[in-house]
Amino acid sequence: MLDQKDLRPKDMGRSDEQLIKLDNLIPLLAPYDKPGMESPLTDPKPAWKEKYCTSLDGYIGIDTLTRPKSKEEEDEFVRKFLSGLEKIFSDANNGVLQPLLLSFEYCAKCNTCSDACHIYTAAGNNELYRPIYRSEVLRKIVKKYFTTSGKLLGGFVGADIDVNWETIARLGELAYRCNLCRRCAQTCPLGLDNAILTKEIRKIFSQEMGIAPTPLHTKGTMLQIKTGSSTGLSKPAFLDTLEFLEEDTEEKFGIKLKFPVDKKGADILVLHNAGEFMAWPENPVAFAILFDAAGLNWTLSSEIMGYDSVNYGLWYDDVQAKKIATMQMKVAKDFGVKRLVVAECGHAHKASMITADRMGTDRLPVESCLPLLWDMVKSKRLILDPSKNNFPVTLHDPCNVVRQMGIVEPQRNVLKAICPQFREMTPHGVDNYCCGGGSGFAIMNSANFPEFRTQVASRVKFNQILGAFKGTMEDTSTPKYICAPCSNCKGAMRGLLEHYDATEKYNLQYGGLVELMVNALVSLKKPFLEFLE
Amino acid sequence: MILSIIAYLSIVLFVGISVYKAYQFAGMPFHGRMDLYPVPKEKGYEHGGSYYEETAWWSKPHEVSHMREIIEMLKEIIFIKKLFENQRPFWWISYALHLGIYLIMAWTILLVIGAMFELNGILVAADSSSILGLLVFYLSIVTGYIGLALAALGSGMLFLRRAFDNTLKKYTTPQEYFNLLLIFVALITGIFTWGNDLSFGYAREVTGNLVTFTPFVADGLLTLHVVLVGIMLTYIPISKMSHYVGKYFTFHKVLWDNNPNLKGSGVEQQVKNAASFRPTTSWSAPHIKPPVAPEK
Repeated sequence: MLDQKDLRPKDMGRSDEQLIKLDNLIPLLAPYDKPGMESPLTDPKPAWKEKYCTSLDGYIGIDTLTRPKSKEEEDEFVRKFLSGLEKIFSDANNGVLQPLLLSFEYCAKCNTCSDACHIYTAAGNNELYRPIYRSEVLRKIVKKYFTTSGKLLGGFVGADIDVNWETIARLGELAYRCNLCRRCAQTCPLGLDNAILTKEIRKIFSQEMGIAPTPLHTKGTMLQIKTGSSTGLSKPAFLDTLEFLEEDTEEKFGIKLKFPVDKKGADILVLHNAGEFMAWPENPVAFAILFDAAGLNWTLSSEIMGYDSVNYGLWYDDVQAKKIATMQMKVAKDFGVKRLVVAECGHAHKASMITADRMGTDRLPVESCLPLLWDMVKSKRLILDPSKNNFPVTLHDPCNVVRQMGIVEPQRNVLKAICPQFREMTPHGVDNYCCGGGSGFAIMNSANFPEFRTQVASRVKFNQILGAFKGTMEDTSTPKYICAPCSNCKGAMRGLLEHYDATEKYNLQYGGLVELMVNALVSLKKPFLEFLE
Repeated sequence: MILSIIAYLSIVLFVGISVYKAYQFAGMPFHGRMDLYPVPKEKGYEHGGSYYEETAWWSKPHEVSHMREIIEMLKEIIFIKKLFENQRPFWWISYALHLGIYLIMAWTILLVIGAMFELNGILVAADSSSILGLLVFYLSIVTGYIGLALAALGSGMLFLRRAFDNTLKKYTTPQEYFNLLLIFVALITGIFTWGNDLSFGYAREVTGNLVTFTPFVADGLLTLHVVLVGIMLTYIPISKMSHYVGKYFTFHKVLWDNNPNLKGSGVEQQVKNAASFRPTTSWSAPHIKPPVAPEK
């Protein structure tokens, strides 16, 4: 095992059982700065070492990446990777060729991007997570196998890496130590984007080698294409869930709620992350209450691909992403609505409005729920009482919605209008830090990966939250609310708060934006937010 | 004569290869959106906003300011703004090199103008009676002194920083040291060649001879300098030092390209064209269906 400070890109091919060990995480802010407030990081189990690739940093992100049983399997693994590597520079990859080549060729290695990365920072400036480390390993392999200069001049041009099973498997794992938040790209003086290279590595593994984390692929995009939802929620189950939520809402709040489903003549088709119905049902309920209160002509769809907005393909597989985006758009068009509104799910925002924007023509307009919600508040179509939300509230900016789409103001305008104790995190807006759940991390729960997500990837975010609530944390009678208008971000928040027992100890709560809005409705007789009861 | 050919040829190759590279990038296939905010042309640039902050955004005019985009680009080109904001210590030496290069480019043009003046009887000297002659004389001195000093200092410091910084040296290939060294050596030979005559009269005289293909006696140092500059000018566009080409595309065609695919738009036409393309290679994972055979 190497001291991370001595780690070089060409060390990826070393035979060490584990390349580095994480041991120098940045300290957490008060009240989590006291000894014993955090469990130590664990070592991988011996059985995992034999089966998976734990040789990078001890964590397992790709549960389908298993060790070869023979030399032939090992050689085939390397051959397939190299085949895929060649393809990312071919016409099979036309949709990203120009951005890829630019980021691949022009890095001046000025290292400006490192400090922008929350994972590199959280891990105490760990060399392994430096944004250019991963990119440089990829460059070395490409130079070694696919460039004339690399073949002729070898180490002089950087083609000095040993390529074996360990090298490739570690690189695959390392592609899942980046949230693809693209914060590093904001700082690059040349406008280069390490996240593009990271995603290309993930794509080679999936599109060429058929290797991807189970929650993203088998239980993600494949399940969604088969059943209509990555949750496996079937149409009858979806309708049952809605019926249950209607009854529950009436029972709890006395509101006779009726979800419009497959309503003919509706203007708006609302697309939720189907995970909301199971994990945070109060969110789609809140949407329904608000849309009805504002008098919008809206509906949900019960068609396959019509009631789940997610598109995990965005994180690891362009082919899957395109299949899902195309199917979702077809359902919406067949339905005859005038526009699609994406509810509080960050990656679904980006998938349907940015990524899918150039995947076909004659598309239905797609818009974010956030400006629509602000419009309801601004136009006073909702009668709201901010005093109902008189507790500290901070806003997490989902990277996909904010940095990658430029939707910055509407959500904070709503909060400023309805939450008297709203305070920003530092930094915020387009300069925000990822929640640590981005690019699939929030749903990747195999082996010891949740430990990496919670204690490393989400670490800077947790400090941001503690910073925003500084001075109020110890007051356990006051709830502190993290508004995270994104399903994946909420998943990461849930993991964080559970791991640090922060709800129990400090009354730290989390949820979406619409829940706060409904809570402020004058017409609601009792608090919508359970923790206020 | 040979030195004249080297001078002309290297400039032609520098421009030609750079233009060819730009042409190659411009001709690359239409790609998916990868916008990253803040995008300078957007109305909400100050807070990093975009047209998506509006309800029914597709039905409203997309208000953009190309002037702001140009201003932001100029800040990046002239001052290397992102490096200044995000890594100040590195900016000092990187900017010294880049500003030095800009000044040397200006100095070279002034030498050519000065040589042309002198060939046409306009004295370029401190005691010139021509205002233009005086202007060119002093501007040449200012740009030449500062340009050569800054560029040599910048390239030398960048080399040393890479060689002795524990992080940077892990990522720097021998070729990347060579790149900086080539620039540094070309500059140092220049400083020794032209440094004997601080009024740059000798430099103007040689420039005049090179431009007009007039044979002249060149010593070893001058020959070495011209050959090194020739090699450098030819090598830069084929190496990654041609980032001056790439930078246009990374910002304008990737990070700042957020034009939506609306009905009747240019983007829609490009999407249609891209959709008709049949790739010749395909991915092999089991979940991916074999593609349609390529068109003949």
